[in-house]
Amino acid sequence: MAVVRVFAAVLSLSLLAGCGPAAEARSGPGATTVKNCGIDVTVDGPPQRVFAAYQPAIEMAHALGISDRLVGTAYLDAEVLPEYAGAQAKAKYFKNLPSREELLSLEPDFVLSGFNDVFSAAGSDASFGSRKSLADLGVRTWIFSPLCPTADGKGDEAIDPSTVSMDNVYADLRELGRLFGVEKRAEEVIADQQRRIAAVEAAVRDAPRPTVAIVRPGLEGGGMTVSGGPDFGTVLIRQAGGVNAFADLTTKRNVQISVEEFIKRDPDYVLISGCCDASLTPAAAKPDVDELLANPAFANLTAVREKHVIPWLFANHSAGVRGAHTTENLGRILHPDLVR
Amino acid sequence: MKRLAACGVAVVALLALCVLSLCVGNEWIGPGAVYRALTDFGGSDVDRVVRYLRLPRTVAGLVVGAALGLAGGLMQGVTRNPLADPGILGVTAGAAAAVVGAIGLLGVHSLTGYVWFAMGGALVTTVVVYLIGGAAPVRLALTGAAISAMLGSLTSAVTLLDLSTLNEYRFWVVGSLSLATGPIVAQALPFVAVGTILALVLGQSLNQLALGDELAQSLGTRMILVRVLAGAAVVVLAGTATAIAGPIGFVGLAVPHVARRIVGPDYRRLLPWSMVVAPMVLLLADVLGRIAVRPAELQVGIVTALIGAPVFIALVRRQRVAEL
Repeated sequence: MAVVRVFAAVLSLSLLAGCGPAAEARSGPGATTVKNCGIDVTVDGPPQRVFAAYQPAIEMAHALGISDRLVGTAYLDAEVLPEYAGAQAKAKYFKNLPSREELLSLEPDFVLSGFNDVFSAAGSDASFGSRKSLADLGVRTWIFSPLCPTADGKGDEAIDPSTVSMDNVYADLRELGRLFGVEKRAEEVIADQQRRIAAVEAAVRDAPRPTVAIVRPGLEGGGMTVSGGPDFGTVLIRQAGGVNAFADLTTKRNVQISVEEFIKRDPDYVLISGCCDASLTPAAAKPDVDELLANPAFANLTAVREKHVIPWLFANHSAGVRGAHTTENLGRILHPDLVR
Repeated sequence: MKRLAACGVAVVALLALCVLSLCVGNEWIGPGAVYRALTDFGGSDVDRVVRYLRLPRTVAGLVVGAALGLAGGLMQGVTRNPLADPGILGVTAGAAAAVVGAIGLLGVHSLTGYVWFAMGGALVTTVVVYLIGGAAPVRLALTGAAISAMLGSLTSAVTLLDLSTLNEYRFWVVGSLSLATGPIVAQALPFVAVGTILALVLGQSLNQLALGDELAQSLGTRMILVRVLAGAAVVVLAGTATAIAGPIGFVGLAVPHVARRIVGPDYRRLLPWSMVVAPMVLLLADVLGRIAVRPAELQVGIVTALIGAPVFIALVRRQRVAEL
């Protein structure tokens, strides 16, 4: 039965696409067009059937107050922030990303993604198809602008580090606010984020700046995976009064380095970012922290000697409305006497 | 005399590669500093890098290389198939499936935990393949391929259902020597020793097997026993190698052919030579992998495939692959 429904939905959508202009950039009266990652996103009225993929997109949707327009949410990296827990409990949730067909069967008119690989041709999560291919079916799409690839269909390897900023998160909020007709709410969210981040920045202004490494647990290919320059963690660490120890590596967000390189850089703080389950808390990274602390190769590291290896969340260093939360959290970790 | 000279050259080359493996890395550490780190450990970063990263890695290269070389030689001998390698009995697929099962279903997360699952998976798979396939080389190889395919899809199914398993499994898709630590290598040594003795003892029987089933039987070779013992040795050797370093391709396949070109088809010499040549290939590949893409590293499994594939194709094209 479900199969038939999916088939019917896909069929009707492809027929719709076949009708040409109907699904193409509609620009009737009341239409709103906003540019996102070089693509014009045009809606006739506020989208009513939104699919949110990945943690940042899901939290953004709840923050904007459009939880009741969500037809589906997928792939949480960790528990959602407490203020969104109630709304998320009511949303339809997919543990893994749905396939393109499954997505289309939900008949979304808007897909909000907190990670670019889902629209990329060869990304780790390639599944929805390119943004253009969805637009052809009348489905509008949005990638968070600190993650803009240089071209539609590309992924994480094509992020311009200069776009990685909180300002771009605010721009997203403002523009999504326009598209969804929730401008006032968007401005409130922006003001709240700015106020909280400014408070941390002011508190740590004159403090020394420790170097911080964000590490994905486990040995990947025998090396380690750390957050490089284009990762949003770089911005969040800076706001909290630190420096990303690997900010100069700018080829990708997640960069693989050798264990020896890690030892050479000797970061003051190591955050182990546990990932990818809707019920995940920082405690999940504890075994990886213990493993790192017990490894004799790392015994000389400043972070190990001072016990500054901290179980953390991958979700924390994503671009989005978690920015203020993470800046405060990092401020408390890096400068416990200055930030409360 | 000539043979002795070749032997000497091989041993010297292997030692030189060991020294290189200790010196080369993210930063060059001179032989003097390496020597001091090993004999007079002071706890500096250099000492720790040599002692806890490069030494286990080098020893792992020796152990894993020797095990893969021997296992490859054994497989080619016992199946009389020049394209045989430990993968053909489903050993690698069995080990990988067991590891993924251990991570995904049982929640095993430490590397020392994986070792036993890898060995168990390899053993069970090989026994099943032998039970279904029987003794005939072709049936055995076909059964191995079929079981491998089945285990491969089971592995995919588990990893697709559970994303955190997928993340950990990625480390198991391509082999790497840097996953090895001192305790893991030490744990593996007795297994490799047993497998090695078993393999070397079987040399003469493999020579008789190479003459064909009928002739071998008339010479008094107990073929089923030989095949079972060889299978056991392959399981122990390849299973342990996979447990230490993950799946590494091409070494078990290509090295016996190199050895065959040096010493001819006599398994009593071919097996020990495979055991010396394979670690050389592996250490060289690992050293190259460390400097190729700094500050990252290329996994040794990728490098062996990159170097191994063209070399093997060249061998095939020049028809140097011996008919077995």
